[in-house]
Parts: sequence; C-alpha cells; structure tokens
Amino acid sequence: MPHDYVAPVGVEGIYIINTGKWRIQHPVLAEEKCVKCGKCFMFCPVGAIKRRDDGYHIDLEYCKGCGVCSHECPTKAIQMIGEEGK
Amino acid sequence: MSVLDVLDRPDVISPGISACVGCSVELTLRTVMKVLGRNSVLAIPPGCMGGVGVVGWDKKSGAEIPVFFPLLTNTASMLSGLRLAYKRQGRDGIHVVAFAGDGASVDAGFQALSGAAERNDRIIYICYDNEGYMNTGYQRSGATPKGAWTSTTPYGKLQIKKDMPRIMADHRIPYVSTCSPAYMKDLVEKVEKAKRNKAGFSYLHVLNPCVGGWGFPPEESIEIARLSVKTRYFPLYEVVNGEYHITVDIPNPLPVSDYVSRLKKFSRTSEVALTEMQELIDQQWQELKALEQVRVNGA
Amino acid sequence: MSHVEVMTGNQAASTAACLARPDVIAAYPITPQSSVVEDISKAIAEGKLDALISEVESEHSAMSVLEGAALGEARTFSATSSQGLAFMYEPYFRASTLRLPIVMAIANREMISPQTLWASAQDSLSVRDAGWIQYYVENNQEILDTILQAFCVAEDKRVLLPINICYDGFYLSHMSERVDVPDQAQVDAFLPQCYKPDHIYLDPDRPMAVDPLTNGDLLMEYRQKHLEAQQRALTVIEEASEVFCNLFGRHWDGCVEAYKIDHNTKGAIITLGSMTGAAREAIDRLQSEGLPIGLIKIRVVRPFPKTELRELLSGIRAVGVVDRNVCFGWNTGIIYQEVLAAISGSPSIVHQPFIAGLGGEDITIEMFETAARQVVTLAQKKNGSRDQETIWLRSVSEEVHK
Repeated sequence: MPHDYVAPVGVEGIYIINTGKWRIQHPVLAEEKCVKCGKCFMFCPVGAIKRRDDGYHIDLEYCKGCGVCSHECPTKAIQMIGEEGK
Repeated sequence: MSVLDVLDRPDVISPGISACVGCSVELTLRTVMKVLGRNSVLAIPPGCMGGVGVVGWDKKSGAEIPVFFPLLTNTASMLSGLRLAYKRQGRDGIHVVAFAGDGASVDAGFQALSGAAERNDRIIYICYDNEGYMNTGYQRSGATPKGAWTSTTPYGKLQIKKDMPRIMADHRIPYVSTCSPAYMKDLVEKVEKAKRNKAGFSYLHVLNPCVGGWGFPPEESIEIARLSVKTRYFPLYEVVNGEYHITVDIPNPLPVSDYVSRLKKFSRTSEVALTEMQELIDQQWQELKALEQVRVNGA
Repeated sequence: MSHVEVMTGNQAASTAACLARPDVIAAYPITPQSSVVEDISKAIAEGKLDALISEVESEHSAMSVLEGAALGEARTFSATSSQGLAFMYEPYFRASTLRLPIVMAIANREMISPQTLWASAQDSLSVRDAGWIQYYVENNQEILDTILQAFCVAEDKRVLLPINICYDGFYLSHMSERVDVPDQAQVDAFLPQCYKPDHIYLDPDRPMAVDPLTNGDLLMEYRQKHLEAQQRALTVIEEASEVFCNLFGRHWDGCVEAYKIDHNTKGAIITLGSMTGAAREAIDRLQSEGLPIGLIKIRVVRPFPKTELRELLSGIRAVGVVDRNVCFGWNTGIIYQEVLAAISGSPSIVHQPFIAGLGGEDITIEMFETAARQVVTLAQKKNGSRDQETIWLRSVSEEVHK
C-alpha cells in the first residue's frame, strides 16, 4: 500500500547525491606499490575504497577527489590525477 | 575481528551525501554506524550532517536505518523518550544513537543532554566537534578554542574551549570517551564499548577537523586530526564508571605550534597566545594523568 | 462500575490520564499544574499504573521525550502551565506538525510579567496557532471526561493531532468537586487499545526517515493535510462526545454549548472555561427578569467551530465576549477576535468585547450581569455602531471601567 504522507517521512528509498560529479581529481592506485595496509580504505570519507580478497580497489562513483587516500598512503601508491576538462 | 573487518561491514548511510570534500565528520558517521549496525535509530540534529542529507530529502531517506531530525535543542530528550517506548515494548536491543555537532551538544542542546545523562538514560550520544557552527557558516560555539578565527570572532575567540568530555564525565555516567578519526582502532573500540554499555548513558566526543572552517587542504583532514592528538591538544581517553584511562598515550608530544601553524583559523594567533595555549594543554594533560591515578572504590 | 470521588481539577486530570493507560509520561513541575505529575508519579510508584515516567529537567524536554516516545509508538501524556508552555514552544509546535497524538493538560495560568501564578488562558491561547487541538473546560468532571475523549480524538486516523485540555489554574486545578470516576473496564471499552501508528514511527524493523529536509511545495501539501485534519476533528470531536455520552451518560456538547438560547433570545454572552459557571447564574437571574439574553460556552477553540457558532447566533442581535486574556494589537480579548472572524458575514450582529479576570481575578456573577445588560442594551439599540470599545470588568470598585 502506498504511504499516505500524513506526516513528513522518507520511505521512498535512499536519497543519493551524485558526488562523483564534484571531482576535479581522482585517485589512481599503483598496485605494485600497494602493501595492502588498508589505510586508504580506513580513511576514505565517502567509502570509495572497496576491500577485496586480493587487495583494495577504487570505486570512483561517489569519490569527491579529496585526496585523503593518497595523502595517508604510506608507500605513495595512490596518485591524484586531474580530471580531464577540469 | 580486526578493525578492517569492522570497517568492511555494510555502510547504512547514503553513499552520496553533500558533506564537504575531505570531511572527517562524514568518515566518522559512516564508521560509527558500521560498528553499531542496523538495529539502531539515528538522531541527526540540525548541523553539518543534517544539512548534507543524512536524514534525506522530501520522501527519501538519507540512511537505510531509521533516522530523524531532532531539534537542535532536544536531541538527548527525544532519544530518552524513544528509549522509554522501546523499554515498554521489551526491545532493549535497539541502539538509540545521537550524532550531533558541538553546537547541538555543548551549547543549545546542553540542557537536554545534561538532563538525559543525569537520568542515566541508555543513549549513545556522539558529539562530532568541529569547533563551531560550521554548517551555518563557521560561527563561534562554546567548543571553539581561544584564539580561533570564526565568522563571529574575526580577530580570534577570547574565551577557552568548553571541556565537554570532562563535564559529561562529571555526570558519573557509565561511559565517556574522546575519539579521533585518525585513530580508527581506538575509535572503533570505543564505539563498541558504548554499544555494549547496557548500564546507561554513553558519551563519545570526537574532534573532527573542518576543511573549510579551520582552513587546511582537504587531503590533510586525517593528518590534522592526528596532530591534534600528537600535540596533546586533544588527548584520547575514556572514563569507565568514573575511572579515567588515557587510551593513546603521547609520551613525547609535539609542540602545539606544530598543530596551530597548519590551520588558517589560528593565523592571527600571537606568540603570547600560543604560549598560553601550550600551558593550558600541559595543565590539562597533567590533570588527566592525575585523574588516571584516582581509582574508584580505593582500588 | 463508576464511583464518586471528591477531587481537585488536577486530580481529575491525573485520574483520567491513568485511566487512559498511557505508556510514557513526562512532565516538569510548575504551579498550578504540579500535582498532576505528582499524582501520576505516585500511581506508578505504587504499581497502580503500568507506565514509564521520565523525570525531565524542563518542559522543553518533557515535550521532547513525549515526541520521541510517540515516534516509538507509545501513548503519551503530559501537563504544564504558562511559562512551562512558553519554554516548551519549540517542540510543542513540532508535536502537531509531526502529527503525534500527544495529550497534554494545561492548568491555565497568566503569562508574566508582572510576576503571577494565577488563572488566565493567555498561555494556551497564545499558542492557538501551533496546530494543536485545544479544549477549554468548565469543571472537574469535564476535565476528566474530556481527557478521555481527547485520547480518542487524537489517535483517530482522521485526526492524528495532539490535544490540549485547558482548565483554569486554581479555580479548577485546586478546587475540589464531586467527580464521577468511571472504572477501568468502561474506559478500556471507550478508548482504542493502544496507539499503533502507520503514518510516522521509528522502528529498525520498518526503517523510515522522520522529517527529512522538505521542499516548499511538499511542505504546503503537509500543511494542507494538517489543516484538513483540524477541520475533520470538528466532526470527530462531536462523535467522541456522543459515544462518550452513550457509554457514560454525560454529554458535553462537542465543540460549543448553548445555554438558554431560543428563538426569543436577542443577546448572547460568550464564555470559555470555568467562568461559565458564574455566567450561567447571571443569565438565570436576567432571564427571570425577562431579559432576552442567553449564553454560549465555547468548548473547542482549535479547530474553531465557526459553523456551529454561526447557527447559534443566527437570530441574535448582539453578542458580548468575555475574555480572560488579551489580544495585543487589537485592544480586545482573543476569543472576541475569533468570534468576530466567525460572524464576519453577519453584519446584523453587534459585538461587544469584555476583558475580565486576568491574573486570577474573580469574574463575579455581578460582572456577568453588567456585561449581559450591556449586550441587551446593544441588542435593543437601533443603528448602533458595530465596533464597540472593550469594556474592562474590574473588581476594585465593582464598576465598569472604560
């Protein structure tokens, strides 16, 4: 049954802002330098770094390009690269 | 379970919220809710996290768990009422959680917070302290430190920061701690302790550097948080049933100038003011060390 | 079955609240309401009431606790007065806009300054536009009966609004009267078993966001529904009054009560709350002299029963409204303005504002006689001005002060 909206509530799914559009730079991981410490995964404010069995993977969909992952990486395995056209 | 395993749990917050680039509060919120899980109700009063869409927009929610806007002034008391309702239904497993800024906690919401703590209502209250009303344009709050620029203290705040964790500890609630997003294992463990606390109120105070309001590049937000701990500006400790314990000891602190010099908000801070700040930090650390020696029940 | 007790208005309120089986109560002490919460606390402590109470640090938190509890699907009750209500205003407004059916008694007390503790409906009337339903009652029996009816109306799916039951501080809150107390089984048969919302709630098993940021157009939709619910409440209040009467044998005339008004009546006095008792006496006296004057007691101010009032006033030439409150900026009382709005389409009715009884001053039978005679005079006047200056009824010299 559809909600009657007598009172202000949110029940129609999740409100998502396309924060990936904000990005002026994006992280690129050099896998050969990665020591799989998980710092990038731990500190990414938006959860753009995903953990997999084989290491860490960058999902740019909501990445705002803050550069925390790159800055915190102990082996400088992540470089921030400017977005084309920005 | 390792910290990384905990952080690999599903994120219940919307993947796209409009927090500023590099915001450490966004990181803290996502992390805290990974620890607390889905059997939670989340109160987000007006402030940065409310403003960026965590409670949602129109008919959509900003989270996969029940989330709501309390007033700026009544976060703790609304949660007290929720807790009573769940108690009445025998639903004691639900975590009743506040994620509130310093304005909603140390200033306008203080009375409700103090009242709920005094009643020892079973609430997990997390204050994300970015030292000002950052969502409304960087105005001064009771948590702004002395000397800091805000949009209402253009020449630096004249008064010292309200020591909220100590004030909350003096309510003699079962659990109080200070946390930093730079010390993730410590943060996760503290949230887990709050989650396990069935005896009453839990208060967690997180110092969250604010890129725009404090003035530093977004990639440095974790480093700044780490520096606040390494200079003893923001000591990490907990108070369990009245007993103080420093959880991250800083035996060889960096001078506070190493922290202050990184932040534009302190750009007008004089040498004299810096010396005063260092003295206050040293004194507070000594007090913490002394409080650590005090054992409840004389043990 | 029911039994008779002699009790104060506050006791009537706490007795009714206990009979309604609330889940969560929160209130903060304030004169003249305090004994309501004391009595409920005692009932819980003695195991006579199975409910939870929050000993809050303020009225602001009292209302906030109840909002949290109502979002957690609890039936809730509180009580307050004057400054407490003022301090509560921020969450008070929100209880209605979140559509939470909280029931709260208000022992009416004048707003300071000057410093005062005594009766006036200034407190609750000042917040009449905060979206709540507001009843104003005349005696202790009506306090008890109306609180029970209020839970029924508040939780009705056509309404879903919080309700105030307002009664004059000290005049009713502290005065003892005979009250017929229904037994629990009777009340259980009258009220819904529990509050079970499907419009707004916080439940991890059924996640929803409560009160997301909302655009103006959607906000207007919510406001429109809120206003419509207020209008539907006029019917629901009447229904609750009828059902209550059938079960308990006492009828409180829904939103408006007409006293001794018939086709010969030319003038009417309009009252609110406990002053109505003295007004009835005055009307009896004047009618025995043959004066064509009757009485209308407004029982519900929000929603305002404009249609019923218009019908009652249809044959009437002059109306006098006695307000125990003031309406700043209009130089009258508040109910006078409300009545004026209701009869604005009836140019034949002359209307006279009176202000009396502020700060707990007695509104005597003689004052009502004075007021009623003035109304009769206006009713008999040909081509009198419709716009009368307020008459202040004051006790100092028992004279009418202009």
